Parts: sequence; structure tokens; C-alpha cells
Amino acid sequence: MEENLLEVRNISVTFKSRYGVLKALDNLSLNVKKGEILGLVGESGAGKSMTGAAILGLIDPPGRLSSGEIYFKGKSISNAPEAVRGHEISMIFQDPLMSLNPLRKIGDQLVETILTHMNISKSEAIKRAKNGLKEVGIDPSRLNSYPHTFSGGMRQRVVIALALAPEPSLIIADEPTTALDVSVQAQILDLLKKLCKDRGTSIILVTHDMGVIAETTDRVGVLYAGRLAEIGDTRDVLTDPKHPYTRGLVDSTPRIDSNSFKKSLFQIPGSMPKLDAMPSGCAFHPRCEFATEICRKKIPQILLDRSACWLLNDGEL
Amino acid sequence: MLVIIFRRLGQSILVLFLVALISFLIFRYVGNPVDNLMGQEATLAQRAALEEALGLNDPFYKQYFSFVWNALNFDFGNSYRGALPVSDLIASRLPATIELALTSAIFALFFGVITGIYTAIRRGGYLANIILSTSLIGVSLPTFLIGVLLIWLFAVELKWLPSFGRGDVIQLGWWSTGFLTLSGIKSLILPSITLGLYQLTLIMRLTRSEMLEVMRQDYVRFAKALGLSPKQVNYKHALPNTLVPVVTIAGLQLGSIVAFAIVTETVFQWPGVGLLFINAVYFVDIPVMSAYLLLVGVLFVIINLFVDLLYLAIDPRLRDSNSSE
Amino acid sequence: MRRFLESDFLYDFLRAPVAIISFCVVSILVLSAIFAQFIAPTNPFDPASLELMNGFTPPMEPNMYTGEVFLLGTDDQGRDLFSAILYGLRISLFVGLMAVSLAMTMGVILGLIAGYVGGWLDNLIMRLADIQMTFPSILIAMLIFGVARGLLPPELRYEMAITVLIISIGLSEWVPFARTVRGSTMVEKEKEYIAAAQLIGLKKWQIMIRHILPNVLGPVLVIATITFALAIIAEATLSFLGVGAPRTEPSLGTLIRVGQDFLFSGEWWILLFPALTLLALALAVNLLGDWLRDTLNPRLK
Repeated sequence: MEENLLEVRNISVTFKSRYGVLKALDNLSLNVKKGEILGLVGESGAGKSMTGAAILGLIDPPGRLSSGEIYFKGKSISNAPEAVRGHEISMIFQDPLMSLNPLRKIGDQLVETILTHMNISKSEAIKRAKNGLKEVGIDPSRLNSYPHTFSGGMRQRVVIALALAPEPSLIIADEPTTALDVSVQAQILDLLKKLCKDRGTSIILVTHDMGVIAETTDRVGVLYAGRLAEIGDTRDVLTDPKHPYTRGLVDSTPRIDSNSFKKSLFQIPGSMPKLDAMPSGCAFHPRCEFATEICRKKIPQILLDRSACWLLNDGEL
Repeated sequence: MLVIIFRRLGQSILVLFLVALISFLIFRYVGNPVDNLMGQEATLAQRAALEEALGLNDPFYKQYFSFVWNALNFDFGNSYRGALPVSDLIASRLPATIELALTSAIFALFFGVITGIYTAIRRGGYLANIILSTSLIGVSLPTFLIGVLLIWLFAVELKWLPSFGRGDVIQLGWWSTGFLTLSGIKSLILPSITLGLYQLTLIMRLTRSEMLEVMRQDYVRFAKALGLSPKQVNYKHALPNTLVPVVTIAGLQLGSIVAFAIVTETVFQWPGVGLLFINAVYFVDIPVMSAYLLLVGVLFVIINLFVDLLYLAIDPRLRDSNSSE
Repeated sequence: MRRFLESDFLYDFLRAPVAIISFCVVSILVLSAIFAQFIAPTNPFDPASLELMNGFTPPMEPNMYTGEVFLLGTDDQGRDLFSAILYGLRISLFVGLMAVSLAMTMGVILGLIAGYVGGWLDNLIMRLADIQMTFPSILIAMLIFGVARGLLPPELRYEMAITVLIISIGLSEWVPFARTVRGSTMVEKEKEYIAAAQLIGLKKWQIMIRHILPNVLGPVLVIATITFALAIIAEATLSFLGVGAPRTEPSLGTLIRVGQDFLFSGEWWILLFPALTLLALALAVNLLGDWLRDTLNPRLK
């Protein structure tokens, strides 16, 4: 079996609050293989961004990684994430305007990143920077421009160029297109896909948009209230979801085929629980039409490598 | 960008005229110049003659413009106490205030920024918390109280430093300086600390909060995510963005230093323009009051203008009046 | 009441030692000032009760001529310092309170008008605010004080000192109130209940006072606390400079001014006790105001 590039094992991210210790991530495990695109989908607050932050050790205090291990290329990185930042694992944030230092030219930021990770001369670095810009579709002569002179989509391209400059093996893309116009979204996603396929770079794509998941990812993980609800090949998960929450998500996505025009848009009743008011047992059971006694009592783990649902025990959903 | 500069200049000039107007109104209409210069026994004819001579019967705008014209020529009339030309009084005392203000400003800026950066980077640390707690005191206390307590401690109890005056000064042409004598420098210490302490704590807290805010920004997180070292992240990305608002507000604070100099000069009997002004208020010496106000007003407007232009130079986003959003 | 007891506010308060201590200090000082007449052994403002021979008595030591003992000593004219401080506290707090009320009233009204009526009136008020804000409020207070004194005939200057003091401090602090209220007003103005009130035919000032005002008062209280602290310091400073409360009705600042003169002749208590009292007051009010502002700031949550 092919070795996993990234292995996240049973991590929990907690923080202390007035209401006690809250778990932003609870016992989460997932793997990423070389060259694949893994999607992480869920509502706001489900913990998708937190997962990405946890991998790179960028959790904002008072949160902290309280248990679990993270392995990259076979070595543990949970205690020393700084070592892998940039040249092994890179990250892209949601808002391209806020990701770039407004007071510095983009060329300076590119060259600085390159020189941090590679032992080359400044003129070499400038050449690489220009190539980087060309690859993302920006005129290399704009090395000396400031971030505010670019449009939203172009800025995100610059951000991608920055993230790829140190040549990482894994990119964590946290809602990279949410802040962009719909027309630009597709371009950016295609660009990301192409560049990564060309280099064999893996991507963890965090988003709340099922459409993006369907278009772009090879596998997908569904997060709910800090826990992993389901994980598997994208096609399988979307066409035959094995968790009631995933089923609800899929059903509530608007579709343009003749069937859906007749029905009204489906909505899962209720809302995702807040961290200080988590239900006992399965986090989803209060909203689940199939909930049984055991769902109320015991927190389900991922069964059959696919879904964290007690009903899967019986095989059918 | 030129458009922006010209607009700012225009605004400043407008405010300058307004300041001059207020100063003029005080000068002309508060109290009676004739009474003050002549006393009660003057006859009506003598009064009328003086009124003509002073131009008090001219139309308003004429009086206003001659006031402004005189001001530009540094003629502010004569003080009610002793009939000395106001401009001479101010000129002789200006160096004292400027040296004091400058020393305080440098003291405040230097230590303020350093402690601010330290307490931001080492947030939650032992020393940082101590510094923060002490700084609360600096902000809460009135300047004069700090001065008085410093005098009590260092001048009366410990007898280390002088408690009033400038010490020996050396005359360099029109300017008298206390920087070149030991007693002059010693005399400068307590007043500078008193004057600068408030500014220092302000600058420190500002630098700290700005730095913390900046460190939370995405571009700092992004820089971290890209693997840049903490030193690079803190000093090349966070710090410049922090200093921009800090410099602005610190610049505006320069004006406060001039205002609080009045208090410090009173506490230490420092022979500057501040002490001159407060005595003028006490004895209702109108020409001195209005001249001081005019000068201070001009100073403030210039400082504001300068800081605005500085901001334009530092932050490239402000240079184009239309940058793409 | 119950909502208050269970509120986040009380929770945070009880867990912040700084807030609790400051609040206690402020309460003690305020109560002492209010009940000064009952606590103070003498009335220091009554010239008849003063015995010049009592002057310069150190704290807790019997006076060498009269044998009387004073808790905190006496000043140069025989006034019991303890009483003087209590009465001085009263004046300091009174001026502070009055000045804040003036600033608040003026600022809120101008803010309401600027925000609701808009147009050239709004521009004018905001321009005025901007110009005033380029100068430190102490300077403006001094300016107003100086001008007011100049306008008054010499006989009245003494009597009206406290009033002029209140006016000058109050007028120098209205801007933060106005700006905040203006902002909130402009937001509230767009809401439906205002449109409804307009449809019913309520006049502008009625809408402003009855409907908008209650909804914009929240942040005003925070500003009021902070301004109160500033007003106390401003009053102390002006009195210390000699252009505030006179010697016959001294505030803490005046007492400190007097005390400074006697520092070098050894009568340290005349300076130190009023100074320490002011220290405690200023610190406590400031810390409380700071804490209040941080707690009620939604952005930091």
C-alpha cells in the first residue's frame, strides 16, 4: 500500500473558556496521499480551518493541540511544525487582500520567501520569482507592484505563486475561492489543480461549497462539530453518502436538473451545535431522523474506513 | 497624489486663518486695551486719541488684516505687565521650552517604542506584565502630580537633582542652551521625565496594541505559514506596519507636549513660554495670551499637516486616490 | 436586577481584582466626600474656626502652642489637613461631575442633531469638532478659562471661579460624545421604527429625544466614565496652576499647589497627603474606566 504523505492521528484541539474545556477538534484522523486532492467540507465552525491550522502549528491561542500526533513523510511534526512550513507544507488563506503585506511590493515578498528556503543568489531568486508569476498567469514585469493595485483574482494568483515558491509537497488551501467572484473561482481552482498535478503536489482543499468539492477533489472528508463524520472517494461520498449529515448536505445542494425544479429546496432541520452545548453521544443525533438509543449514548468512531455512524454497523443506511 | 497634497495644504491654510481670527478676537475684544494701557484717570480726549492711534475705530476686516500682518512680522503688541514687546518676551523664553519639549519627546518615543515592541512580542511574560502594570500609573496620573512627587523624592529626600530652574545656560547668539553645562543637563532630567512620561506610556501602549493587531493579520500568519523565521516575521513584516499608525499618533502627540509643557514649567519654575502663558492667564495679560495662542495654533496646524504628509509617504495605498478594490 | 446578577458583566467584574479594588477605592472616596460634613472634625472653610497658632503642626503630634492633635497635620493657616482633604475631594468630584454632565449634554445634543438632521449642520458641527480635536483639551480649557476671566469684571472673577472652571472643562470635552452619538444616530435613523415614527407625524426633535436617544446611550456611558476621569485630572491641573479653584474653596489640586511651597521648609505633610489622595482617586477612576471600556468593547470579545 502506498505510503501516506501526511498522517493525522487522533488529534484534538481544545481551549479553555468560561464554560469549561471546549473541543474545536475531537479525535480527528485522516490521511493524504502523494499527488491527491483531499477536500474538507463542513459548515462554518465545523473545524475545517482548524484542521489546517493544526497541521502547521498555527492555532491561535488560547487553543492548543492537546492530543494526537501528526506525521509527515513518516516523521512526527506535531512538536516542531516550524520545520516543515514553506518547503514541505504550505498554506493559502481565504482573503487574498489580507494575505499580502500592503506595504511591500509583491516581488519583494516572493524573493524573500524563495531566499528563506533556497540557498541561491538574489538574481537567481528574482528569476525564479518572475517564473513563478508567469506560471500563475501574471505579467512578470509586475514584480514591482503593490498588492492593492491588483484585482481580487489576480491577488489570489500571487498568493498561489508565493505558496508554490518554496516547492512544497503539500498545500493546504483554506477556502481559497470563497472571497472571489464566481467567474473567477473556476479559473483559480483550475489553476491550482493544474499546477499541483504538474508537480505532483498534494492539496487539502477546505471549503463549504459542495460544488467545489465535486469538481475538484479526489477524496473528501465531512466535518461536523469538530468531528469527522464521513471520509472517502468523492464520487462515492457524493452519490452514496453513508452518513445522515452528508446525505442532508448533498440533498440541500441546489442542482440544475429537471427533477429538482419541482421540489422545494431541502434543509436539514435545526443547526449545528455550539461547542459549549454539545449533545451526548453522536453530535448529529438531535437532527437525525434515524437516531437510535446508542446514538444518544456513545460517540461514534469512523467505521469501515468510511463513516462515523452507528447505523453503519448494521451495514445499511 | 499632488491633488491630495494641495487639498491638505488648502485645509491647513483655512484653519490657520481661523486660528488667527480667534486670536485676534481675544486680542481686540476681551478686556479693554485702552483701560489697560491708560488706567482710570485718563480723560476722554486722551482715550479717543489712543483709540485712533491703536486703530480701534477702523473697520473690522482692516483691524483683522493689520493684526495678521503684524503677526507675520512678529509684532504682537506690548504686554500689559511692564509694556515689553510680546515678541521679545516670547523669543527669550522659547529656547527653554523647545529644549525641554525636544528632550521629552525623544525620551518618550525611544523608550515607548522599545517597551511597546517588547511587551507585544513577549506577551504574557513576567517582565512584560510588570511593565504594563506600571504603565497604567503613567497614564492615569496628572502630569503635575508626577512632577511634584518626583521633586519630593529626588530633590527633597534624596537631594540628587535640582528642583527648579534651568541651571546655568550658555548664550549662543539669540539662543540660550542648557545642554552644554552640567547643571543645565541635571536640571533637564526631572522635567523631561515628567513631561515625557505620559507620552511614553501612550506610545508604549499604542505600539503594543498595534503590533498585537498586526501580528494577528493574515499576512503575518501567511508569512509564518511560508516558513519565514520569527525574526523576519516580526521585524520585516509586522514592525513596519505597526510603526505607521504609531508615528502618526506620536507626531500628533508632539502638540500635547507643548500643552503639557505649561504644567511642567509651572511645577519646576522652568522659564519657558508655558510659564509665561499661565502667568498671562492669571494676570489677564491679553496680548501675551493671544500671541501664545496664535503661535501654538500655528504649531499644531503645521504638525498635523506634516504628519498627514508623512503618512502619505509611508503608506503606498494612500497615494492613488483611486486604487482598485 | 436578576439579569444584572447573571450577566457577563458582573461575572467579568468579580473576576477582575483590578476592577474590584478600584471600585472600592472610588466608592470610599466618593462617600467620604459626600459625608464630609459628618466625618471631618472641623470645617476648614470657616475662617472663624481657624486658629493661626495651629499652623504647621505635623501629623499626629500635639501642637506646641495649643496642644491640639491633628490626624494629618495642619497647613500654614492652621487648617486641619484631614478636613481640608475631605472638602477638597468634594470640590474635585463636584467639578468633575458637573463638567462631565455639561460635556455629555452638549455632546449628545449636537451629536443627535448632526446625525439626524445631517446636511450643512452636520458638516459644520463635525468641522468644529475636528478643529477642536487638533488641540489638547487642557489647552482649550485654559483658553476658555482665560477668556472668561478676561470678560468678567475683576470683582466677579473670584466668586465665579468654580463655575468658569466647570464650563471650561465641560466645553473642552464634548467631542467624543458628539461623534459617538452621531454615528449611532446615523445607523438608527435608517431603521424601520424611525420611519414609522416619521409617518405618524412626530416632529424631528420628538423623534430624536424619544426614539433615537434611548438607543444610542450605551456607549455614551462608557465615554462618560472616561471623561469623568479626564475631568478630575483637568480640574486638578488647572487648580494646581492657580487658575482653578481658589484657596478659599480649595480642591485637591489647590492644596497640592500650596503644599509644594512648603516642601523645602520641611513641612512635607502639607503636600504629601493631598497628593496621595489625588493619586488614589485618579488611579482608581482611570483603572475602572479602562476596565469598563475593555469589557464593554464588542470587538475584543
